[in-house]
Amino acid sequence: MATVAIPAAKWNWVPPYQTARTANSLDADAQLVERCLNGQDAAWEDLVKLHTRRVYSICYRFTNSDAEAQDLTQDVFMRVFKNLKSFRSGEGLFVVWLTRLTRNLLIDHYRRTRLERATESLEDQAKTLEETTAMLARTDGMLAGREASEVLQSALQKLSPELRETVILRDLEELEYREIAQVLNVPEGTVKSRLNRGRAELARVLKRWKVRV
Amino acid sequence: MTCAELEILLCDYVDGTLRGAEKSALESHLAGCSACTELAKEVAAATAFIERVAPAEPPAELLTRIFHELPSVRPAAEKRSWWRKLYGGWVGVLQPRYVMGMAMTVLSFSMIAKFAGIDMRQLRPSDLDPVKIWAGIDDRTHRAWDRTVKYYENLRVVIEVQSRLKEWSDQDAGGTAQGPGGSRQAAGSGQKQQAGTNEKKK
Repeated sequence: MATVAIPAAKWNWVPPYQTARTANSLDADAQLVERCLNGQDAAWEDLVKLHTRRVYSICYRFTNSDAEAQDLTQDVFMRVFKNLKSFRSGEGLFVVWLTRLTRNLLIDHYRRTRLERATESLEDQAKTLEETTAMLARTDGMLAGREASEVLQSALQKLSPELRETVILRDLEELEYREIAQVLNVPEGTVKSRLNRGRAELARVLKRWKVRV
Repeated sequence: MTCAELEILLCDYVDGTLRGAEKSALESHLAGCSACTELAKEVAAATAFIERVAPAEPPAELLTRIFHELPSVRPAAEKRSWWRKLYGGWVGVLQPRYVMGMAMTVLSFSMIAKFAGIDMRQLRPSDLDPVKIWAGIDDRTHRAWDRTVKYYENLRVVIEVQSRLKEWSDQDAGGTAQGPGGSRQAAGSGQKQQAGTNEKKK
């Protein structure tokens, strides 16, 4: 039987998202939301501090712009502040509710800025490619850490929004398939199909750029 | 297992959560399908690369920006001490417009009190009786009105205007009392005067 050259380490690998969000953290979210709804300013402060990284990360990975990600993160928390009453802890997790809100805002932003992206100069694209090539030459194609992050950013922009958001939510934000399905409002099978296509497309882009994976 | 079924299970396979018969069936399919084998390789390669990626950290100033925008949320570091709260509570009241407003209010009340005959320095509970206050205001109003009328009537210009008006009205009254006969009399005296002149010429 032919074997697929998939890294052996993958088979005993326990995904971090299976242990990252424990029952305690979920309880903490529910309690924080309860305290926010009771009008406690300190609870709002904790809620923002706890979830800013996640919201910013999703926005940054999707838009590939620090400035836009900051603006969008700010907008997300403004919406949370106004609409938290519509969240019911019995109907789902706060993280899922927050991620859905973030994703909807991102899609709105994506549609709104479509024209601006279409008119993005070829010069900018050439500059990005040049920087990536220089980085790869410097590191012999074996990237990690911040350099890998920058290349991933550029590669993610080559994916369609549907594939990009699925890869971000699963591989970077470590949500479960069921949660991603709730966020995107699609069946779990669709999530897995999009994820496979997104990952495969990403691998092809990295291969074209001669990145060792 | 079909290629479509493999696509659904491939995620769990890459995650390492696929077990038993499903895992065996998937591996059998991979052994005989080059397209799915290629897909599995690419998926595994992408996940391996993403694992090496550093997380995206938000800049420190983002929290400050968010706290600044949210209507009622301020970080603990910016919370005010008790003396600042006490002082801060009066900052709004001590603005010039409020101070002027308060001064005008005090002045207005003091004028009303003075006008009503209430001596603030020797104020007694009985002085605050509404009947007494009303009687005081009424008395003061009449006195003030009388004084004003007297002052007005004693003005020289008013007296002159009034006397002139009286003269005119007297003249008009006299003329009206003589009536049309008076006119005739005046005409008659005019004729007499003309006849006298003619006699002198003769």
